[in-house]
Amino acid sequence: MSARVKQSRLPIAFSAALGLLSTSCHGAAPTPPGVLVVALDSEPQTVDPRFGLDAGSSRLADLVHAGLTRADADARRVPDLARSWEYRDATTLVFRLRRDAHFWNGSPVTARDVQATYEALADPALASPKQGALAPLAAIEAPAPDVVVMHLHEPTPAFLDETGLAIHPAAEVHARTPPTGAGPFRLVESRAGDRLVLEPNPRFHGGAPAIRRLVLRIIPDPVVRVLLLDRGEVHFLQEALDPELLGWLEAKPHLTVTRRPGSSVLYLGLNLRSPVMRHRRVREAIALAIDRAALVRSVLGGFARPATGLLSPEHWAYAALPARLPDPARARRLLDLAGFPDPDGAGPAPRFRVVYKSSSQPSRRRLAEAIQAQVAAVGIGLDIRSYEWATLFADVRSGNFQMVAMAWVGINDPDFYHRAFHSSMRPPVGYNRGDYDDPVIDRLTNLARRTPDPARRRRLYRRVQRRLARELPVVPLWWEDRLVVHSTRLHDFAPMPSGDLRGLAAARFE
Amino acid sequence: MRRRLLLVPATLLGALALVFAFLHLVPGDPVEVMLGEFAMPADVASMRRGLGLDRPLPVQFVRFLAGLVTGDLGDSIAFRAPVTRVIAERYLATLELAAAALLLALLAGIPLGVLAALRHGSAADALIRGLSLLGVCVPSVWLGPLLILVFSIQLAWLPVSGRGSLAHLVLPATTLALGMAAILIRLTRASMLAVLRDAHLRTAVAKGASACRTVTHHALPSALPPVVTVVGLQAGALLAGAIVTETVFSWPGIGRLLVQAIAARDYPLVQGCVLVVAVTYILMNVTADLLVAWLDPRTREDA
Repeated sequence: MSARVKQSRLPIAFSAALGLLSTSCHGAAPTPPGVLVVALDSEPQTVDPRFGLDAGSSRLADLVHAGLTRADADARRVPDLARSWEYRDATTLVFRLRRDAHFWNGSPVTARDVQATYEALADPALASPKQGALAPLAAIEAPAPDVVVMHLHEPTPAFLDETGLAIHPAAEVHARTPPTGAGPFRLVESRAGDRLVLEPNPRFHGGAPAIRRLVLRIIPDPVVRVLLLDRGEVHFLQEALDPELLGWLEAKPHLTVTRRPGSSVLYLGLNLRSPVMRHRRVREAIALAIDRAALVRSVLGGFARPATGLLSPEHWAYAALPARLPDPARARRLLDLAGFPDPDGAGPAPRFRVVYKSSSQPSRRRLAEAIQAQVAAVGIGLDIRSYEWATLFADVRSGNFQMVAMAWVGINDPDFYHRAFHSSMRPPVGYNRGDYDDPVIDRLTNLARRTPDPARRRRLYRRVQRRLARELPVVPLWWEDRLVVHSTRLHDFAPMPSGDLRGLAAARFE
Repeated sequence: MRRRLLLVPATLLGALALVFAFLHLVPGDPVEVMLGEFAMPADVASMRRGLGLDRPLPVQFVRFLAGLVTGDLGDSIAFRAPVTRVIAERYLATLELAAAALLLALLAGIPLGVLAALRHGSAADALIRGLSLLGVCVPSVWLGPLLILVFSIQLAWLPVSGRGSLAHLVLPATTLALGMAAILIRLTRASMLAVLRDAHLRTAVAKGASACRTVTHHALPSALPPVVTVVGLQAGALLAGAIVTETVFSWPGIGRLLVQAIAARDYPLVQGCVLVVAVTYILMNVTADLLVAWLDPRTREDA
């Protein structure tokens, strides 16, 4: 009897112990007002912006550092530490700095700091991976405390994109430890693999942030991220949101789901070295066989826009092109004309088979299978091969593919077209991985990258986009929406198409 | 024992050589992965030179070994920090998790195994055996989210994830411990059943030893050596299981780090992680051997 009584008490004791643990030890209690917890899916590989290139490092740099300029929602450069800039001539760029910008340590940001930062990044001794981006820079001067003059080797309008590099105090640019920044927050604690804690920079030139403390928690599991959000242990989630969970999250009264057009574009890269893919009609047939709207609905839950090109409609250089609607009948005719008749009519034998490479992410696998079914309807057989990212990327870089699903994230300046499609830009020099060779594109991109006049550049890049839409060295699929789920306690946050988190500097958290 | 200890450096060298060879056989370039799609060729070449990746593979391996002798495991390509520091920041977290899981597995596995053996053929025995079978079958990738759903979301007793307090440790340690506890139950039960049939147990009972004393002083010490050996061997499974558990519970340990390092083809970091895991594994096995020798003097003579 007594043993039975003892046994029956065990679950109660266990529950009591758990209850005690939950009330006394863990941090599930609501976070204090003004402390915002942001979930990151990957850990920033470094907190030093001179070296960080991964998504996590970029998100951290958005918050902790400031450059001369930054990109706005339309991918135009807007002032950050610089209040204005102008081209003195085609190769001389003059920046005038704000006088109210300060680093976290309270010292003002001067032209000397800017000069020292750029010189250090361009110095091979520092071994910064950003050194190559500064190749167009011939010299930099600081003739006055608030004036920076950059001399370029040749007219390079796209160089303005590189003026977002984080600025540090001159005395710290060669430091071995992460240097000070001038962003809206400062890093106060870093727990490897777990979290980063930021506090406001009271002297930030855009005004001290209202958020009293920002905790960036690294939570790699997508389900756990969402559970934490639901439970109120996380208040902000932007990266890697599964569309299937969004409907469930939208129904939560304490959460707000914000959807904003994004600029990341998913596309099918085609390798023109392939005897099949070198036929323009085959490429057009593939584009016509794919029903983008159906894919957006079924694979992405409707959280994307079918793409007509690589630049999103918000981009200043975007060319409005007609949407390519699915037309399987026309696709079949094009394949016949290209010399690939269907061997057995409506039978199962394909006209030809193509290897389709994709990353091993579940959503990419689903996409591959959906595209496989769609192109099968016009007689193209797809053999799907999925790889983890490093292997896939190695194959793409070496041209070892026929068709590949890839995304381009963070396209700012359209000079990107030169590096992606100019015939001289095959890897390793550029990223013309599909071996595209088109004298028209070569001429237009060469001209556009040396044209300082923005209106003329825009006209040239629109011609580039129209040409690419006809020639189809890649088949654009969609622009993914930027989805943010956050607590209803967060106010005044405007998501950026690029995912830039700087908007948190102007947000309030109750 | 001395001979086995002498084999430790050779085992480590073999493990490192294998990992080095396999890592370089797998497609993927760490510099290209790190610099990303828009990498400038000059940056790629400069970084490759800086990291010594432009040198022949045997030279790279010898340099790694030379550094190892002086305690320098090189710099992580992805984290741009000394490998020793990157690992040290996370190793303690994994040790904490593994130790808690081991403790839970021992506390659950051995008593339940003994109980099942003592109640051989009863309903309790069947129930414990059923539970142990379930424990072996349930993968941690499924169990982890299930425990989160029940104890963190539904009951709101424990935190969902992260590291910080004792409460944070409960769910990941339970997830990791379950498989090992199940194995220990089955092994302890089988070992106890064999011992309980031994003549020396009957002698002890005949001499008037109480049931409790017979079990704790005679049966259990004889049944434990195989269990201790398996605990040592299972340490490897515990460290491997930590990879999944650490991801599910956002536990900032070495298992998650190893996955990140492999994905980034961060050769020095992968090698460093493998070295640390191998040393831990060997140490746990040596400890298990010493414990078995202490429990069973006959094995001392063998060694």
